Amino acid sequence: MKSLTIRNLSKTYFDAYAGKHVTAVHDVSLDVAEGEFVSIVGPSGCGKTTILNMIAGFIPITGGEILVGGLPVKGPGPDRGVVFQSFALFPWRTVLDNVAFGPKMRGTRKAERERIAREYLALAKLTEAAGRYPNELSGGMQQRVGVVRALANEPDVLLMDEPFASVDAQTRMTLQEELTRIWQQKRPTVIFITHDVGEAVFLANRVVVLSKGRKLDEIDVNLPRPRSWDELNDNDAFKALSNRVLQLVRAA
Amino acid sequence: MRPTQHLLSALLFAAPFAVLIGLWAVLVPYFDVNPRLFPHLDAVVLAAIEGMRDGTLLNHIGASLMRVLVGTVLALLAAIPLGVAMGVSSGISAFLTPPLRFFSVLAGIAWIPIATLWFGYGFGAITFIIFNAVFFIVTYNTLLGVSAIPRSVRNAAASLGAGPWSMLTEVLLPGALPNIVTGVRTGLGFAWRGLIAAEMIATNAGLGYMLFVARDFYRTEVIVLGMIVIGVLWLLLDRLVLAPLERATIERWGMVQPA
Amino acid sequence: MITALHRAWGRYVRLTTHWPAVASIVPFIPFVLMWWAVVAAGLFPRAFLPSPVDVVHSFADLVYKGILPEYLQDSVMRLAVGAFWGIALGIPLGILIGMSQLAHRALWPLLLFFQAIGDIAWLPILVIWFGYGLVTMTFVIVYTVIFPVILNTVLGVRSIPINMHRAALTLGASRLRIVWEIVLPGALPNIVTGLRNGLGYGWRALIAAEIIVGTSGIGFMMFDARRAGSVVEILLGMIILGVLWYIVDSWILAPIERATGQRWGLVTR
Repeated sequence: MKSLTIRNLSKTYFDAYAGKHVTAVHDVSLDVAEGEFVSIVGPSGCGKTTILNMIAGFIPITGGEILVGGLPVKGPGPDRGVVFQSFALFPWRTVLDNVAFGPKMRGTRKAERERIAREYLALAKLTEAAGRYPNELSGGMQQRVGVVRALANEPDVLLMDEPFASVDAQTRMTLQEELTRIWQQKRPTVIFITHDVGEAVFLANRVVVLSKGRKLDEIDVNLPRPRSWDELNDNDAFKALSNRVLQLVRAA
Repeated sequence: MRPTQHLLSALLFAAPFAVLIGLWAVLVPYFDVNPRLFPHLDAVVLAAIEGMRDGTLLNHIGASLMRVLVGTVLALLAAIPLGVAMGVSSGISAFLTPPLRFFSVLAGIAWIPIATLWFGYGFGAITFIIFNAVFFIVTYNTLLGVSAIPRSVRNAAASLGAGPWSMLTEVLLPGALPNIVTGVRTGLGFAWRGLIAAEMIATNAGLGYMLFVARDFYRTEVIVLGMIVIGVLWLLLDRLVLAPLERATIERWGMVQPA
Repeated sequence: MITALHRAWGRYVRLTTHWPAVASIVPFIPFVLMWWAVVAAGLFPRAFLPSPVDVVHSFADLVYKGILPEYLQDSVMRLAVGAFWGIALGIPLGILIGMSQLAHRALWPLLLFFQAIGDIAWLPILVIWFGYGLVTMTFVIVYTVIFPVILNTVLGVRSIPINMHRAALTLGASRLRIVWEIVLPGALPNIVTGLRNGLGYGWRALIAAEIIVGTSGIGFMMFDARRAGSVVEILLGMIILGVLWYIVDSWILAPIERATGQRWGLVTR
C-alpha cells in the first residue's frame, strides 16, 4: 500500500452542447496516508467521480497533479485498483477466474493464482461461489466479488466508485460491515466515493466534503473500530459527525 | 448546431468514397489496366451519361424497381393478414412455425429454377421470386409479432369492449408492427438479391440483365456502372427508408424479437 | 369429439416436451398430405407439380447413381471453404473496426456500400477475371459471409460496457490481452449471430452462383433439371436445401447462439 497525494487538481473540458468550457474540479488538494480510508462525499455533479476517474487514469488531468507513493499517475494500471458501481465482472469467467484475473495478467502460474483467489474469496466469505458465474449471483454477492477481485491484485491504492449504490438498503449495510472487516485485515489505502453521508462516516477515517468541484472541508472520524451498524445507529458521536457532514453537504 | 452536425456527418460518410474514387482515377490509368479487365473512371461516367441519355439505364432501373414494387406489395397484402390470422392462436402459431421457418429458409433464390419452369421467362417469374422472398419472411415475422403480444393486453382490450376489427387495428397490428417492419426489411434484402440473380437468367430487361449481357461483350464499364447503381439503390432504400422505419417502430414500441 | 381432440393435443404436447424433434417434424405432415392430395386431384399438370412419391423415387435414384451425394459434397465443400475464409477474415476485421475509431470512420461507409452491391452482382466481373471455377464461387461466398460477420462483430465489440475494459486495465491487462480476454469473449454472442446470418446468406449465394456459373452442385442440379424440363429434381433440390439448412440452423447454430448468450447472461439482439 502506498500514500496518495493530490495537489491543486483541476479538470476542465469543452462541452460541445453548451458551447463553452466547463470546470468540473477546481483546485482540489488532498493527502492520504498509507493505509488510510478516506470517503469523498458530496451531491451529484460535485466532481467526486471525475476525481476518481482521474486518479484511476481513465480521463486525463488538465491541471495539478496526482502522486501515488510519490510518483505521478499516467493512465490506468494495476497499482490503482477500482471497484465499479456496475460491478464490471467478466460474465464469461467464473467467480474464481474473475478474482484470479489480476494475478493472471501479472503472469502468476495457475496453481498459485488460484490459491490467491481462494484466499481472498474466503476473506469475503464467498468460497462456495468460486465455481459460479456472475449472472448466477445476487447483486450483493457480485459486488463482493468485485471488491476482492480488486484487492487480490494488491494495488497500491483502492478506488471505490459508489460501489454499493446498485444494491438494496439491507444488502448495503451488510456490505459496508463486510468492507470494514476486510479493510481491517488488509489495511489498503482506500478512496471511497459516495453520496450517502451515513455510509461515508461509517466506513472512513476521514471524510472529505466536495461541492461544485471544490473541497469544502475535511472531517476526521475518530470512532473506534471494529464498527457495526447495531452499535453506531445509537452512537451520539456518530450521529453528531453525520449531522455535521450532512449540514456541509446540504448548505453547499 | 444541428444542421451543421448533419452536414459534418454526411461529409465524414462520403470521405472514404472520395478517397476510393480518387485512387480509382489515379491508379487504374497509372498501371495501364486493361479496360477489358477493369474500366477507367471516365469510361464508367461516359457509360452512365450515355445510358441516361438514350434511356436504357433508366429502363433497366425502372424494370427492376417495378418488379420489386409489385412483388412486395402483393406479398404484403397476402402475408400480413395471413400472419395475423395464424398468430392469433398460440396453438396454431406454435404448430405452423416449423413449416414457415422452413419456407422462409428457402425464400428467394432457391425458387428460381422452379419459377422459370412455372412462369417461363420474364416479368412473372421474377416477380414471383420477389413475392416469395417477401411473403414467407413477412408472414413468419407477423406471426411472431402477433403471438408475442401478451394475452393480458388482448384480454384488456376485450374487456374494454374491443370488437374483432378494433382488436385487429388497435391491438394486433400496432403490436406486431416492429416485427413486421423487420420482416419487410429482411425480406426485401433477400428479394433484392434474388431479383439480380433472376434477372441474370430469366429476362431481357433490368439491372441483372444489364450486367450479364455486358459480360458477353467485355464491357466492363457497363458492369461496374451497374454494380454501383445496384449498390446505391439498395443503400438508399435500406438506409433512408427501411432502417429509419425499423428504428422508429422499435423506439416507440420497444425491443424487437428477430426471426 | 372436442374432448378427444383436446386429449390428442395434450398427448402431442407432452410428447414434444420429451422429444422436441417431434415438434419440428410433425407440422410438416399436413403439408405433405395436402401436396399429395393436390396432385392426386389433378389440379396441376404433372409436369408442373409432381407428387411426393415421385420426389422420393428420384431421391433414391440419384443417391443410387451417386450423383446426389457428389453434388451435395461439392456444394457443402464450397460453402465450407467460403464460410471459413469469411469468418477468418471477418472476425479480426470486425474487432479492428469495432475498437478503432479511425478504422471505423474510414471503413464503415465502404462496408455498407459494398454490402449493398451484393454478392450476385459481382458474378459477371468475376467470371471475366477468373472464369467459371472454384475461385469465382469461393469469392462470392466469402463476400457474402464476411459482411454479416464483420457487422455483428463490430456490434458485439462496441456493446461491451466500457467499465469492463477499465476493470481489465486496472487489473494490469495490456491492450493486446484485452482483445483476447475481454473483447473476443464479450463479443462472442454477437459473433455467433453474425456467423448464423452469414451462413444463411452464404448458402443462398452458393446456390445462385451454381445456377448462374456452376458446373456441379445442388444449385446446378436444379437449373440443369429445369433446362431438361424435369420438375422432380428441382423440387428434390429445394427440399434437400431446406432440410439441410433447417437442421444446421435450428439444431446446431441457434442452440449455440442461445447457449453463448444465456451462459454469460448477455443479451443477443
